[in-house]
Amino acid sequence: MEQMVLEINQTEYAFLAEPKWTLLYVLREVLDLTGTKCGCGTGDCGACRVIMDGKAVNSCMVQVRNAVGCRIETIEGLARGTKLHPIQQAFIECGAVQCGFCTPGMIMSAKALLDVNPEPDETEIRQAIAGNLCRCTGYVKIVEAIQLAARRMREGDA
Amino acid sequence: MEKEFRVLGKARPNHDAVLKATGRKIYVDDMYLPGMLYAKVLFSPEAHARIKKIDTSKAEALPGVRAVACYKNVPQVRYNSAVRYIEHEIPDTERIFDDTVRFVGDRVAAVAADTPEIAEAAVKLIEVEYEPLPVLLDVEEAAREDAYPIYEGGNIVGESYVNAGDVEKGFAESDYIFEDRYETQAIHHAAMEPHVAIADWNFEDKLTIYSPCQNTFGFRVILGRIFGLPYSRIRMVAPAIGGGFGGKLEMTVEPVAAVLSKMTRCPVKIRYTRKECMLSTRVRHPSVSYVKTGVMKDGTVKAVEFRMFTNTGAYASSAMNVSGAMSHKVFSMYKIPNMRFCNHPVYTNTAISGAMRGYGSPQAYFGMERQFNKIARALGMDPLEFRMKNLVDPDSCEPVFHNPIGNPRVKECLERAGELIHYEEALAEQEATKNDRLRIGVGVAVGLHGNNCFGAHRDVTTMMLKMNEDGSCILYSGAHDMGNDNVGLQMEMVSEVLGISLDRIDLVQADTDACLWNLGDYASRGTFVEGKATLQAAEEMKKLLQEEASKVLKVPPEEIEFADNAALWSKDPDTRASLAEVMLHCQRDSGRELCCSATYAARRGACSYGAHIAKVQVDMESGAVKLLDYAAVHDVGRVLNPLTLKGQLAGGVHMGLGYAVCEELCYDEKGKPLNLSLKKYHVLRASEMPRLHLDFVGGGEGEPDGPYGAKSMGESPVVLVAPAVVNAIMNAIGYSLNRIPATPERVRAAIAGQKGE
Repeated sequence: MEQMVLEINQTEYAFLAEPKWTLLYVLREVLDLTGTKCGCGTGDCGACRVIMDGKAVNSCMVQVRNAVGCRIETIEGLARGTKLHPIQQAFIECGAVQCGFCTPGMIMSAKALLDVNPEPDETEIRQAIAGNLCRCTGYVKIVEAIQLAARRMREGDA
Repeated sequence: MEKEFRVLGKARPNHDAVLKATGRKIYVDDMYLPGMLYAKVLFSPEAHARIKKIDTSKAEALPGVRAVACYKNVPQVRYNSAVRYIEHEIPDTERIFDDTVRFVGDRVAAVAADTPEIAEAAVKLIEVEYEPLPVLLDVEEAAREDAYPIYEGGNIVGESYVNAGDVEKGFAESDYIFEDRYETQAIHHAAMEPHVAIADWNFEDKLTIYSPCQNTFGFRVILGRIFGLPYSRIRMVAPAIGGGFGGKLEMTVEPVAAVLSKMTRCPVKIRYTRKECMLSTRVRHPSVSYVKTGVMKDGTVKAVEFRMFTNTGAYASSAMNVSGAMSHKVFSMYKIPNMRFCNHPVYTNTAISGAMRGYGSPQAYFGMERQFNKIARALGMDPLEFRMKNLVDPDSCEPVFHNPIGNPRVKECLERAGELIHYEEALAEQEATKNDRLRIGVGVAVGLHGNNCFGAHRDVTTMMLKMNEDGSCILYSGAHDMGNDNVGLQMEMVSEVLGISLDRIDLVQADTDACLWNLGDYASRGTFVEGKATLQAAEEMKKLLQEEASKVLKVPPEEIEFADNAALWSKDPDTRASLAEVMLHCQRDSGRELCCSATYAARRGACSYGAHIAKVQVDMESGAVKLLDYAAVHDVGRVLNPLTLKGQLAGGVHMGLGYAVCEELCYDEKGKPLNLSLKKYHVLRASEMPRLHLDFVGGGEGEPDGPYGAKSMGESPVVLVAPAVVNAIMNAIGYSLNRIPATPERVRAAIAGQKGE
């Protein structure tokens, strides 16, 4: 075990970890940040997406030591107090949330997109979430939600 | 309905969407119990073998290992993982662990240890010697009389046979006869949440299992049979479900966790990896169908015969349930007087087939709807017109028992789907590109699914409601919310009837100790049966509240209505009392608590219809199919929540599209699976989806017996996607393809095969 420190949602977490552990394992099993889900463990489904230094990554494919020194954002860090992030709000209103298991990863992919591209077209949105599988929604409402969130964030009513 | 809805009929998100969007919904894999151990299973690498020797001593000696279970030290009770209710008898073929393995991925042994890593290391230390047995992979080979019997008595599990009219006479009277063979594949449910359970067998011999399952009460029956516990000592809870689709309807990991917890008296969590889910849980029944149709020159269908085989895999599971369900689904779609359906589920040494969204209908409809496309073209008729000519009308009867089929609006669905996809223009594009390398194809299909298990077995739900002394209310629902928000709809119904705002209603769900009995969440019965039971419980509570409010308002109970969390006198709404006042009076002065339940047993089986039209582009050289536009219109009776219904419809189409063009679990000649990852097993991504055009028909009164005239959405959309898409491909290329998925290789082979359609 090694002593490590991660910066997650602007908070520093110190913990002991095996170097081979994945970031996902540390988030869920060590730090109790269970909002990030494990759907495959092989980087194929996107349920474990978090944002690392501005980029959406599958946390099951990141060795925890490679996350040290990075700015990590997870689903738990999106709401400001009791106020939801506009992407969360839009996912709820548009009906983009069904079983909810893909939702945190989907929202993190959407945030990584909108942080750098505030006005994406539908193709760009679909590309940004192409690494996130959803078995419930057919993606229709998810795409609508990201479009709505983008509009609201541009208009500043976030 | 004489009155407009107050709550229902509006677009509302899932009731727990906020928890899910913030990552705060607690799924079973997010749970931890003090002292919890972690389990890992050893799976068979052999497709069929007897275990000659198993040595677990090295695994047991590993520090941190608390228990190792195999056939030698667990109950050898045979069970069926698809049992639904206490008197349900279907073939018992499974054991927690057996001395014989029957498919690659069968459970051999399991370890419980302090950490998942130790459990995984220990499993690798278990030494097993196998004595190979003959391996049967092909369903028709396994069905032969001289095939090696995987079970004593042979490989045919049973027969489902349904007949209407006189098929031979119908064929004799027909102008033309068409006969074809169709084949469908095994697919994985791919619910995003892998299979997981926590079992806690404590020193009081109470077994509590948290599992994202679709049938807590059914699992309790099976666990009771395996472990001999009274139901008071088994508590099944489904706290949250990250997608089900039938894949969590049959018992898989739960008895393994239970037996390890019994051995250690510690809570045990078992969580399958994605690979293990694909290897060892359930798949959709692969099938072979022989379809024979007799038709007149004018397109009138006189007779259809289905002879089918479904591959149930290594264990009986829902072999007969699915077979029985599929046998009836083809009879309520067309006005065909003579029909015969016969299916034999067959054991093979492949993965266990089980319930999956559609429950037999996708296999049966693939053959029928593919062949009807071929017939229409052969007769020079438009495939849409051909269907219009033969489809059922409202208020008609099905041809088997001549029972009324309610209010099917499939013709309106088809008409509306044609409008949404601009059918005539799309056909013109098909015609204009018919000699090009990139061809446009348009394909039509219709399909249906049921609303309950009426006719197969009893179909009952009991709902319970409790008023709190502040006028708020708790619903105790034995329903399991797989993400379809069935329980959200139930709370909306309570709100509609009792005038209690939704923020003052909450629920306890899917907990066998807290809720009253429910058959389980399958058969698309959430709206039609569970909804109806909820409505009745709410009406019952309304009567109780009227009694109490009558004492407060000093007016007759039957003249009291409820709205805005208050009781109102219908003759003078200013004579009112808040529900909080009514309930305070009830508890303090009447000395009474208000709690009631209502039981609803389905009186008939309604059908939910759909019509789909696919528009695709086919590359004649590569065989690649691009999904362009897809129209799906469904008859769900009265629309109670357009938002969740559209979400389910889009999801069903997505799942069907994968079935049509890319999803397939592949096996080598020894029965070893070849594509056990989501990378190799292709679920369609957001970037690969066609434009979806979705709608509903059949407003007004809706379906008789449905709550407010509503009926199901759940399974029906997935039934008809594959034939719609493959019909579109065939109409583009002009050659037959009778096997799914329609991969580029299969499309190229169809083109090379020169078989006209």
